[in-house]
Amino acid sequence: MALTTQEFGESRVRVWIAGSGPDLLFLHGYEQHPGDASFLHRLAEHHTVYAPEHPGYGESTGFESLRDIIDLALRYRQLVESWGIESVDVIGHCLGGMIAAEFAATSPHLVRRLVLVDAWGLWRDDQQPADPFVLTEDELAQAKWHDPATAPNPEPSIFQPDPSRPHAAMLTRGQNLGVAGKFMWPIPDRGLRRRLPFVKAQTLVVHGESDGLIPAVYAEEFQQLIPDAEVARLPAAGHLPMIEREDDFIDTVEAFLIR
Amino acid sequence: MKFHWFAEVTYPHLTMEQMKHHHTWVDAPWELADPIAVGETYRMFIRLMQQADRDGFDGLAVNEHHQTSFAMTPSPNLLAASLAGSTENAAILVIGDSLALYNPPTRVAEELAYLDCLSGGRVIAGFVFGTPMDSTFCYGTPPVELRDRFHEARELILRSWEAEEPFAFNGDYNKLRYVNPWPRPVQSPRPPVWVPGSGSVETWDLVIDENYCYGHLSFSGLRSAKPLVDGFWEYVDERGGDTNPNRMAFTQICCVSETDEQAERDYAEAVNYFYTRQNTRPAFATPPGYRSPKSIEHDINLRGASRLSNEDRMRAARGEMGFWEYDEKGYIIAGSPERVRQRIRELATELRIGQLIPTLHMGNLSEETASKNTQLFGSQVIPYLRDLWADLPDDWTPKVSQERVAAHAPQVAGAVAGN
Repeated sequence: MALTTQEFGESRVRVWIAGSGPDLLFLHGYEQHPGDASFLHRLAEHHTVYAPEHPGYGESTGFESLRDIIDLALRYRQLVESWGIESVDVIGHCLGGMIAAEFAATSPHLVRRLVLVDAWGLWRDDQQPADPFVLTEDELAQAKWHDPATAPNPEPSIFQPDPSRPHAAMLTRGQNLGVAGKFMWPIPDRGLRRRLPFVKAQTLVVHGESDGLIPAVYAEEFQQLIPDAEVARLPAAGHLPMIEREDDFIDTVEAFLIR
Repeated sequence: MKFHWFAEVTYPHLTMEQMKHHHTWVDAPWELADPIAVGETYRMFIRLMQQADRDGFDGLAVNEHHQTSFAMTPSPNLLAASLAGSTENAAILVIGDSLALYNPPTRVAEELAYLDCLSGGRVIAGFVFGTPMDSTFCYGTPPVELRDRFHEARELILRSWEAEEPFAFNGDYNKLRYVNPWPRPVQSPRPPVWVPGSGSVETWDLVIDENYCYGHLSFSGLRSAKPLVDGFWEYVDERGGDTNPNRMAFTQICCVSETDEQAERDYAEAVNYFYTRQNTRPAFATPPGYRSPKSIEHDINLRGASRLSNEDRMRAARGEMGFWEYDEKGYIIAGSPERVRQRIRELATELRIGQLIPTLHMGNLSEETASKNTQLFGSQVIPYLRDLWADLPDDWTPKVSQERVAAHAPQVAGAVAGN
């Protein structure tokens, strides 16, 4: 298991790689790469897990050459191909779910099974998601977690504090959310609705029932648009079910992937 | 030095009780305002700026903001049009058009050219990124794209003014097969360009590379601005740029009366209104991606050197400062003409400012008092400060306005430096 930095064309990408078994791509959410998170280790017990950091996040580069989210989905096609992988299961959380769905729609030959976890990418006027860019720290905690009081502190993150750079955490977070804005600002809808019918992979749509950022009805919205999809709502979980309800999450996802 | 009359077109009838319950930018409820009163406010500002043109000001400054009671000027070009056709001498300082928000940006090229034609060559083309509230929330531009969009628009506009033939423009954000604006500016090859900033290094590089006039536009005065403006000049010098003070603009609230005591009577309430009727959700002021990590880090270091404490900033915003404390801390420059011109001379000398943008109406000031402020500033302040930087060229204001203002402005016999 290791966090490695890979040169990729003109850019540099950090990738967390661990485990053995069928290849699995994990795409992280809008805030940050979860780093050495427990749920990734659990997945690595049965899969070879590749968890890259998105371009422009943290220490990964190559954001400037992306014009839109299709460019990003195709970047992931190139990255997966660079690993010599011909078929991969994909789990995408949050913004990573939006990217994973675009990836599955534009590269159906590569994606075996798809898991979307509390994913952005759709918009309904009558069920508007929260604006993640204006929430205060407290408001975000209330929205993210089913129970903010028992949320992990600190949250699993690839970011490592450096005493010589006291503002690094704030600057990195601003950098990360700035990149997220490219795909989510001011409304996280870049036309995914029109492309979901092109997803060929069997899909599991996982959603924390208490997600205060994206209402749980969006799980059914994804299910209706993807040809072969089922929904698993996880109780007592917010926007990060893989952290807040790790056991339920792993059981649900593994049952789907090994089927 | 030169003086450009300016005011934020603020809605003047908000109560402190309303301020407890509402924000005033982005999501300010429209029910707080009366459209008839808004129209009266617009007409007042047009009259005041027409007076400023007669009273010897070098320019009339207009700006762009959206969805706010603080400045109800969604298109600066509209207010500028009211002035370009009804004034004779002063420059029309559009500071400025938020380039990223115009689609296509040739709209800016056309409208500024219209204004330059209508005014006989008196337009200054100010190009702005727009505040975070305006550009990223009200107009929905992803913050991380704002600078790219601004630069693409700027290149398109400048090229369109000078192109001898229609051209195709295949930008990332703008696709135009036939660019050929009618009209074109009177000024050749183009109007002077000003770009204000808030300390971003990227903006400093731009104005140095293109030799634009830079603007530090805040309402916090000398103390707050000192580290940033000093930092700008050091950076210009390091990069071998033009250190002529005439390429630097600065806003300053000024309150002139017959005496210092009268100034407090005339302006205290309006100054308090100006600072206390602004209430923006903090998140709307700091969207991620609006500023680069490099600029934020630079800013943190510079602000560490600020002579204005955070507590002072908070107290100023809450209206907890008395009139003379606002003056002492630099937020306003108030008093008799003698006092005001002495303090402006200190400010302009210390910060190396050649283009002052005195803000002569603020908050809920009456038209009568704003008119007096304008008249006293034009006749008792400006003429005594003309000597500052007068030996240096000014390539950043229109030649037509320079000549006409010089020919028509009030003169002071025997005005001497230091008066």
